[in-house]
Amino acid sequence: MSRPAFVESAGIEPMVIFLQNLVNALQWGSFYALIALGYSMVYSILMLFNFAHGDIFMVGSYIGFGVSMGLIALASSGVVALPNWLILVLTILFSMFLTSFVGMIVERVGYRPLRDAPRASAAITGLMIGIILETGNLALLGARRVSFPSLIETTTYNVSGVFVTNKKIMIVLVSLLLALALHQFVRRTKWGMAMRAMAFDFAVVPLMGVPLNTMAALTFALGSALAAAAGILFGVAYPVLDPYMGIVFGWKAFVAAILGGRGSVMGATLAGFLLGFTEIFVAMIFPSTLRDLIAYSIILLILAIRPHGFFGEPYSARLRL
Amino acid sequence: MRTRSLVGVFVLLGFLTFFPSGWVQAQTIKIGINAELTGDIPKVGEGTKFAAQMWLEDVKAAGGLAVGGKKYPVELVIEDNESKAESAVKAATKMITEDGVLVMVGPQASKQAVPAGGIANNYKTPMITPWSTNPDTTKDRPFVFRACFLDPFQGPVLANFITQEFKFTKAAVLYDVASDYPKGLAEFFKKAWEGLHGPGSVVAYESFTTKDTDFSSQLTKINNSGAQVLFTPQYYNEVALIVQQAHQLGWKKPIVGSDSWGSAETVSLCGKDCYGLFFSTHYAAAGATGATKAFIDRYQKKHGYVPDDVAALTWDAMLLVQKAIEDTGGLTGDLKKDRENVRSAMGRITKFKGITGEMTFSGGGDPSKCAVIVRISDKGQFEFYKSACP
Amino acid sequence: MGGERGNGANSERGRSRFRNLWKPYSRVPLLGWFFGALVAVTLERLAGTPLAQFLGLQKIPVLFGFSVMLKNPVLIPNVILYTLIIYGVPTAVATRLCIPLANGIAASLFRFPMAVTAAAHLALLYAILHVWAEISDYRVLVLRLTLIAVMLTLSLNVINGYMGEFSCSHPGFMALGAYCASVLTIGLFVNAQLLGTASLPAALGPFLFPVALILGGLVASFGALFVAIPSFRTRGDYLAIISLAFLFIVKSLIENLEFVRGPRGLSGQPDWADLPTVFLWTVLCVWSINNFVRSTIGKALNAVRDNEMAADAMTVDTRRTKMVAFLFGAFWAGVAGGLFAHVMRYVNPGNFGIQNLAEVLAMVYFGGLNSVYGSIVGAVSISLLGEALRPLEIFKWIIIPLLLILVMIFRPTGLIAFRDLDVANLLKPKPKPDGEG
Repeated sequence: MSRPAFVESAGIEPMVIFLQNLVNALQWGSFYALIALGYSMVYSILMLFNFAHGDIFMVGSYIGFGVSMGLIALASSGVVALPNWLILVLTILFSMFLTSFVGMIVERVGYRPLRDAPRASAAITGLMIGIILETGNLALLGARRVSFPSLIETTTYNVSGVFVTNKKIMIVLVSLLLALALHQFVRRTKWGMAMRAMAFDFAVVPLMGVPLNTMAALTFALGSALAAAAGILFGVAYPVLDPYMGIVFGWKAFVAAILGGRGSVMGATLAGFLLGFTEIFVAMIFPSTLRDLIAYSIILLILAIRPHGFFGEPYSARLRL
Repeated sequence: MRTRSLVGVFVLLGFLTFFPSGWVQAQTIKIGINAELTGDIPKVGEGTKFAAQMWLEDVKAAGGLAVGGKKYPVELVIEDNESKAESAVKAATKMITEDGVLVMVGPQASKQAVPAGGIANNYKTPMITPWSTNPDTTKDRPFVFRACFLDPFQGPVLANFITQEFKFTKAAVLYDVASDYPKGLAEFFKKAWEGLHGPGSVVAYESFTTKDTDFSSQLTKINNSGAQVLFTPQYYNEVALIVQQAHQLGWKKPIVGSDSWGSAETVSLCGKDCYGLFFSTHYAAAGATGATKAFIDRYQKKHGYVPDDVAALTWDAMLLVQKAIEDTGGLTGDLKKDRENVRSAMGRITKFKGITGEMTFSGGGDPSKCAVIVRISDKGQFEFYKSACP
Repeated sequence: MGGERGNGANSERGRSRFRNLWKPYSRVPLLGWFFGALVAVTLERLAGTPLAQFLGLQKIPVLFGFSVMLKNPVLIPNVILYTLIIYGVPTAVATRLCIPLANGIAASLFRFPMAVTAAAHLALLYAILHVWAEISDYRVLVLRLTLIAVMLTLSLNVINGYMGEFSCSHPGFMALGAYCASVLTIGLFVNAQLLGTASLPAALGPFLFPVALILGGLVASFGALFVAIPSFRTRGDYLAIISLAFLFIVKSLIENLEFVRGPRGLSGQPDWADLPTVFLWTVLCVWSINNFVRSTIGKALNAVRDNEMAADAMTVDTRRTKMVAFLFGAFWAGVAGGLFAHVMRYVNPGNFGIQNLAEVLAMVYFGGLNSVYGSIVGAVSISLLGEALRPLEIFKWIIIPLLLILVMIFRPTGLIAFRDLDVANLLKPKPKPDGEG
């Protein structure tokens, strides 16, 4: 049993430790936030648990790996001069684009035929699609873990005892930027308005001329693109990819998405960060062996006190069984 | 119409009577491979399968396994245990009672090997697990063997090595609390370290959960604990992340690992960050000579990467099985008796020169073998540094 | 049937002949089918091995020959022939021949109280399973694990199907039951280190085993309070994540409990969960759950699922209903967990994770919501499929999910959903052809 870090840290101020963990939590929360956003979009608009989302994140990460390898090969062959940062940007954009198709295919195959079915059935299809994506990857690429190419050189800054890397800064900024972009999209554009309307009333809005299928495809495409971005940022921060990496992320993002409340971009983002903060700070204050135990007890407690998440309205829509 | 269909049935029956059927074939030796081909650790299963198949190639090239002056064809029964305990038990039961294997190799991970070992022991079928380090796997089970050393041996080896090499007195440990191998080794290391340097000398004892990828919070604690060295008995995929993140958080002191680092992927995933680090393992790929080198080269040529410790240990397990079968001096054809004979032959194996070191079974199922301390060189190769024997 | 020649009239005739062949079978009571099956399994027991060897199979194909067929496609006709000769034809013939007899016995049995009738049927069913499984230990193991899967699926169906929640905590309940029962049996009968008390004599064990299982179930029920109490104020998605958090908490708790040896797992459970024991518990579970969902409280569950507010207005005590359903479902999950631990004779917190959750959920939704039949069908078919497709290795986990997706697309509520299991109706004799033949 280890004692809390404060006690042991002779000569190191608690403030520094706190700030260091704040930095850590910001990075860790970014991933939860980005994945939870995609989860939350599908969940808000189609009222579905997209249990394949974690695996779309995995697929996005692998697509990002493929794209970046291709671009690196292109750059090193000397056909075009590509600096590394440009490769990263292009990788993110291309992979978001490609993964959005994966999302649309998943929607078309797994969810559209089940639109009038009980929600739980669609959840099961999602789970199964997830297993197919994992196993398919395993069968296709073998059991080898792949190492995501290091696109930007890591530079560590020491700000009076707090260690920050350029990667961390980039990850947090990019994910905040994407969350903000999505927020603006949902708030400002016609499509976004249609989405909000759908989240408000799933049954009536299609009758008002909003094309349901297009909207569903768009939702999945956007969610998957965000997952792909998360996948690449993940690859940059934790450069070890394996076919099963999406499972735990998927389920935890599920927690964050629902904690954030239905139909709330900001809610999902905040809940994602909150989950990251909880996990990091629990490990900081308590013995880290008890991390999951305490972190999820806190989540349970939050839900016992606020049964409808942070931004969700009291749950009234009954399950469509 | 009815007569015609009846005639049809009889013609089919008659045809089947002359069907070349399988019951008149020579007695084959079946070896079961119970591997984690899907699930959490597919890489482990792949290494197992590839090593076993390479062994089979050799045996086939030799025209079968010569036992007591007679050559028997060999067949592998490969089953996937999905990295699940119940699936491992089902696979073990199936290969023992249905396929009639003489020996079972695997499962690798203790989560599967402990329950499967129970099955093997119940049916009095010899089983050898190449990789499981949990003491329960072989405890009170005369029919279960392993090809690796145990945590109670490896922990002190590492504690002694760090003490002698660096003269450190304060260590930190980071391990996976949900996985039995790291947890076991972490505990034995802690015990050994505190035995050397007194209670409280393990200044940070931090953990995470399987599949975690962010260790920043734990590493921050370790950083601030005043530890001089970090010991992390993790699998290679986590090693890469832990080492990189530690460096990003300003850790500049040594990091030491255990045999689970012994994969080619450690370096390919971790890169320059891992250069110069030490770990204990079964064998050192870079300085390898003789049979070890031959195995590594062959494996690499065939599958495109340097085999990890699982593959090497599986290879040794296969050779141990071969030796045990050969030592029986002849198969009786009665599976039950043959299994007993193989079991006692295996228990008698002494000074077996495997590619992962010399092994001796002295009665029990656990071999006594030496550990090797390896340094990851500045070219990313595993260089022999030192060896420690029990 | 020799008549299929592509000729329209001929095939029509073939079809009508098939209908004629099938017609008598509509009068077969369940008992008759049991007789037929018993004949088939007895035949396999007596003549299976020689027949299998005659057909070029080395042994009796253990699970209807799926693995043989997948490993060696040349043997497919032989396996089919074997299955027909051993299972198909004898069952059909014996069932056909004993229709009057079976109806007679069923009718006389039917005059007794329901419990006696049911017990007689169950005894026959057990006899079939026993004879079938006696061929190989592998069958026994698969059967035991399948029966446990039936219990788990049923108990989850109470919460997810009848009450309409999406509970993710089932592996957690199972883990609580498994650990509690294991600690009791190991601590009391195997070694004294675990509980620190003197061991009870091992001879007492099998009698106290049910007590250990029930205690395991009760502990699981107690754990279910952590999910049931929040369910008063919320439901649906929020409850789903509460239950998921509960699962993570239980797993983490066990990993940190040193006295049950944390992630290293607990091994050495005595071998008491043999086939009769598991069968008996499964019967108890099916019986009690079937009665539960057909009782007023079961109907109240449906009411809560369909409209909680309306149910409340109709004087359904929603809190009590939810509480009872959660505790009841968790109890059986705990018992199933205890049995699982004693079949495996090893438990490890890693056994009760998300992978396990996905499997149980798949069984419930594949079989069918709100239906005892459905759960049995779902659990049995997925368990057996998982075994039968073993030779496919990795591709097994592509085929099974694909199959499930197809089922979900074509039957969104599962194979057999919303069907009551009416025991009386099931067991009744069928003396006259019902309706127009």
